[in-house]
Amino acid sequence: MASLSMRKLVKKYGDFTVIPDLDLEIPDHEFVVLVGPSGCGKSTLLRVLAGLESINGGDLFIGDQRVNDVPAAKRDIAMVFQDYALYPHMTVRQNMAFSLEMRGMTREEIAGRVERAAGLLHIGDFLDRRPKQLSGGQRQRVAMGRAIVRNPKVFLFDEPLSNLDAKLRAQVRAEIKALSQQLRTTMVFVTHDQVEAMTMADRIVVMKSGVIQQVGTPEEVYETPNNLFVAGFIGSPAMNFLPVTLGDGRARLADGRALPAEILGSGLAPSAGSGEGLVLGVRPEHFAVAPNDADALPVTVDLVEPLGSDTLVHFKLAETDAIARVSPDLRPKPGDTLPLIPVRGKALLFEQESGRAIR
Amino acid sequence: MSAIASSDRLTAWLNAVLLFFAGCVVMIPTLWMVLSSFKQSFEVTAYPPTLFFTPTLENYVSLSETTPFLHYAFNSMVVTTASTLLGLILGAPAAFVASWTRITWPAVVTLVARMAPGTLFLLPWYVMFRQVDMIGSYWALILTHAVITMPIVIWVLLPFFDNIPRSVYEAAQVDGCSPFRVFWRIALPLVTSGLAVSAILAFVFSWNYFLFALVLSNSDTKTLIAASFNFIGEGSTNWGALMAAATLIALPPLVLAVIVQRWLISGLTLGAVKG
Ligand SMILES: Nc1ncnc2c1ncn2[C@@H]1O[C@H](COP(=O)(O)OP(=O)(O)O)[C@@H](O)[C@H]1O
Ligand SMILES: [Mg+2]
Repeated sequence: MASLSMRKLVKKYGDFTVIPDLDLEIPDHEFVVLVGPSGCGKSTLLRVLAGLESINGGDLFIGDQRVNDVPAAKRDIAMVFQDYALYPHMTVRQNMAFSLEMRGMTREEIAGRVERAAGLLHIGDFLDRRPKQLSGGQRQRVAMGRAIVRNPKVFLFDEPLSNLDAKLRAQVRAEIKALSQQLRTTMVFVTHDQVEAMTMADRIVVMKSGVIQQVGTPEEVYETPNNLFVAGFIGSPAMNFLPVTLGDGRARLADGRALPAEILGSGLAPSAGSGEGLVLGVRPEHFAVAPNDADALPVTVDLVEPLGSDTLVHFKLAETDAIARVSPDLRPKPGDTLPLIPVRGKALLFEQESGRAIR
Repeated sequence: MSAIASSDRLTAWLNAVLLFFAGCVVMIPTLWMVLSSFKQSFEVTAYPPTLFFTPTLENYVSLSETTPFLHYAFNSMVVTTASTLLGLILGAPAAFVASWTRITWPAVVTLVARMAPGTLFLLPWYVMFRQVDMIGSYWALILTHAVITMPIVIWVLLPFFDNIPRSVYEAAQVDGCSPFRVFWRIALPLVTSGLAVSAILAFVFSWNYFLFALVLSNSDTKTLIAASFNFIGEGSTNWGALMAAATLIALPPLVLAVIVQRWLISGLTLGAVKG
């Protein structure tokens, strides 16, 4: 068990810089999820942590040991690969025992640990099968089993759920979270799926093009995103962005209609500079249907997506496509007119140019 | 009848024709050789060749009486087995490293050396081995035959290693393996069919290679194939005995190929690793 510390980390492939300059502290016991679009360098960072890639600058610490030049074999880190990377010629038992054998443990100790890990992951019934004879979900468990028998300092997961079907994914997601609370080992989990990030993480690290955009708890990145990228990436369906100008205590949309400034969080209007070049951010669930509110804007429903628990309504607001999440009891139909207004205090404000959140 | 079924039938038919021609090319000389070895000397060169004759072991008897055939066979066994092993010991790690690092130019160099005519090496080697007084030793033959076997091993194994997902190697590293352990415990067990294929091909090529033995061996260490040239030319050629010798020489590689043919086929078509 150990903390992880990345200081001014640089990683290049030839001339191509994947990670230009990265600082990140991960305290002991924490479950951190690295999330970002495909190709943003998440796997690269994870492989750097594992010691599978060298770094071109900066320092990397595991606990208080500087490990820049320590090979993967000596870092005492366990990793679950996206394709599981089980040893095809070994049984499940041998797969799990292998790393312990490499560390020179006794037969009895190995057997005990394998049994315990197998029990924890419910894979005791197929310890003598080969990977080829297992389903995808079972292989995934074996890959995790191979990691947890080790009792390593840090667990690394590279999109371990992406090859599972949706139902299994949700189940394994919950299991990994439960496991992390049980084992209390530092974990770094990489995914491009913001739902996985939100549901599992103690802290989320949002990355884009090798640069960290925000580090925070799921609530923090959801409620107070640092910039337009984080705001748009976290949450599904994505946050609606509407160009606005501020003035006279009103937020004026591109089509001239205005909303009261109270929809914005804590007295933002005065600090918004000239009031020009701003973007209003409203999450779909933060639109209220308010027939009795004089400030509500009537919108025409273009498309309806019933999800069961709630219903998504697509519409155009000031020439911009937007989505609202409304109660299914409303039974909206395309062509209907709905009076919508952002929930007071929930809308966010960003600078169009820099993308920076104003707060 | 659908178009697919008829094109399937065409494929099957073309396959049969191909097999027939391939069979002719391989089988007719072999058959001729084996049959001739059981004919009386005068019949061997008869034209047109006789298909029906009284088989005789005369050629085999004369072979064993006039030449130390078994001794040559023993020499061949020693040289071929040892050079195949040497080829595997040198070639397998080389192929693994070439595949891992994706640096393949050294492997290309060995291939070029292999493709160069053997005569290129003969004179320098003769001089070198004479200076260290190794002419006529098994080692001179074993070492030089590694030039035959090692490139085969490298080039047969390279795609097998390439076929192993990289993440498997990486998982092994994370699990605590040194590069050598990755090779020994993970990579090598995953390419066993490739090892079988490369060992057989190396064995056969080394077994059949006569040029180095012609120059670097003496009468005591001469290999079978080099010795068989004694039957040609010295006054008149004893065709019957030559055929008997050729038949016996061809036997070990054939037997080997039959024993491991299942591996050979699955190995040559790859596909044994994934899963
Ligand atoms: N071995 C490599 N050589 C060159 N470029 C690479 C290599 N591995 C990854 N990259 C590049 O680095 C970037 C980040 O890749 P990666 O870390 O795999 O992204 P992610 O896991 O976030 O999808 C990508 O643009 C990818 O093309
Ligand atoms: Mg990735």
